[in-house]
Amino acid sequence: MKANPADYELVAPRNLSEVVALLAKQPGMWLPIAGGTDLMVQYSAGKLAARRLVSLWNLPELRRIDVADSEVSIGSGCTYADLREHGVIEREFPLLARAARWTGSVANQNRGTLGGNIVNASPAADSLPALLVYDAELVLISMRGERRVLYGDFHLGYKKTLLAPDELILAICLPRRFSRYLQYSRKVGARNAQAISKVCVAALGHSADGSVQDVRIAAGSVAPVPLRLPKTEDAIREKPLDAALLRMARQVAASEVHPIDDIRSTAAYRSAVVGNLIVEFLQLLKSEARRLNALQRWNRLSLESAVQEALPCCGSQAWARKLAERRPYTDFASLIAASDEIWNRLDELDWLEAFSKHPRIGDREAPTSASSQSASWSRQEQGAVADTAEQLRSALVEANSEYERRFGRIFIVCATGKSATEMLDILRGRLQNDEATELRAAAEEQRKITNLRLEKWLSQ
Amino acid sequence: MTAERPQSEIAFEVNGEARTVYAYPMARLLDVLRHELGLTGPKEGCGEGECGSCSVLLDGVLVNSCLVPVLQAEGTKVVTIEGLTQNDGFKKQEGVNPELSMTALQQALVECGGAQCGICTPGIIMAATHLLRKNPTPNAGEIREALAGNLCRCTGYAQICEAVAKAAVPERTR
Repeated sequence: MKANPADYELVAPRNLSEVVALLAKQPGMWLPIAGGTDLMVQYSAGKLAARRLVSLWNLPELRRIDVADSEVSIGSGCTYADLREHGVIEREFPLLARAARWTGSVANQNRGTLGGNIVNASPAADSLPALLVYDAELVLISMRGERRVLYGDFHLGYKKTLLAPDELILAICLPRRFSRYLQYSRKVGARNAQAISKVCVAALGHSADGSVQDVRIAAGSVAPVPLRLPKTEDAIREKPLDAALLRMARQVAASEVHPIDDIRSTAAYRSAVVGNLIVEFLQLLKSEARRLNALQRWNRLSLESAVQEALPCCGSQAWARKLAERRPYTDFASLIAASDEIWNRLDELDWLEAFSKHPRIGDREAPTSASSQSASWSRQEQGAVADTAEQLRSALVEANSEYERRFGRIFIVCATGKSATEMLDILRGRLQNDEATELRAAAEEQRKITNLRLEKWLSQ
Repeated sequence: MTAERPQSEIAFEVNGEARTVYAYPMARLLDVLRHELGLTGPKEGCGEGECGSCSVLLDGVLVNSCLVPVLQAEGTKVVTIEGLTQNDGFKKQEGVNPELSMTALQQALVECGGAQCGICTPGIIMAATHLLRKNPTPNAGEIREALAGNLCRCTGYAQICEAVAKAAVPERTR
């Protein structure tokens, strides 16, 4: 610890107007500090030039999230944890929620604030590319009043912003226009946590009839400021989603960024990886377009054909029929929403019918009543068990039998991505449930399985 | 010579007891806990909020105390490793002096070999406690994410994650 606390002053006014008054009285003399996850690091290293600080931590005017019809207003004092835990942000601005999960660690997310991330103005900051593609606006406040600026205009140069010396960010406003876009972001760094990015990209895309209707791309750690990529966007917009587009987009993006060599990475690596991430984004957009095509084709089938095609995703006739009856669907998300709603409202017999189409975890074959598509998917989903040692497999068989004796049906779990050991642990835990709880738990697992299968089905 | 700033009177609750300290407002909470209050459980591993050795709960929320100016802790409830008690839903050990009892998590760390030199251990326990309070049945990925802010140079982490998973299993099925 290289700083002497005796040399510093920190005041903590209890409301925002006192802070604003202080900044007006002595502009540039008081450095605002919120969660301190950056400033305290500088301070401990003996590198904090400022000697007087004013605390913004936990001011209620700054730590709130307001949801209106057309926009969400995030107080600048909201922590990354606040963002992660907010339902509307998770659903409509997943790139921001994701960036919040990627920043630092849980302990740092509990203190670091969005306002701090913006004002600190590191070009590597995780949340900033997301704010750029979401067309964020900032509300700035001082004794002179409030003003609203486009976030895209906020950064003037490396760690230089258009914030006046007597000003604070009050809130970050996000227009609620993007929930139907494909949302993509990726952070490339040395570890999955506690890593400053080498490159990060955030992108939104919307395609129709096989070509790109709208696209918005931003990148971090590739310039002195977080960068929107308008040249790349223009090159992609309204073009058909084919291999030539991917090649071209990669080239334009690599030329639009201007990264440097530093302790984390090199300019060459960064340019190459930005290109890779944009290609990955376009490939996702392409498979999303394919899914949309498949959905539109299914929309046009007769009712009976539609029911038959959907049935392997979830073995309940009632579910398949109700789902088909609600056509047409405009996108995959609304299909899933409808599926969830229908499933949750079915009665017990329908649930049991769906359960009966699955093989026992650990059985080599699906029951004969399952369709061959369903059986094939079951084999894929339970893949971890196929490779498993005999001892573990017999433990699973035994636990399954116990389950069947207790509940009168086979154990249902969404097996995808789970190891055999994990499934055994889950099974043992659920053996403790009472009947009602267990029925709901099994139904929830089936819901997850259905969603995964709906995706696979439309992506074929 | 810079003018000597005055110290502030900071009143807060530490491990369930009301305490008052005199400290510079920019003194780090970590240093106040260790030097003014003699609570040496939280440790300085990096001073940068990267290693998690200094983790404490501040109003129930996990934070790196090396990054908290003590003035911001005024009026809060701070819990350090010394303050985790048997009454927090953890298993009491039969026939053992309560002061020597370990929480289920501590016991699991011992049984799984999740502690060697012990420097990271208080921070690990704070982070794992914070996780289990919010999510009593975490899966392997959730455990790793919760502990991603805690660095350990000795164990290689596998035994630590095992210990947290073990402590999370409901008592009846152990």
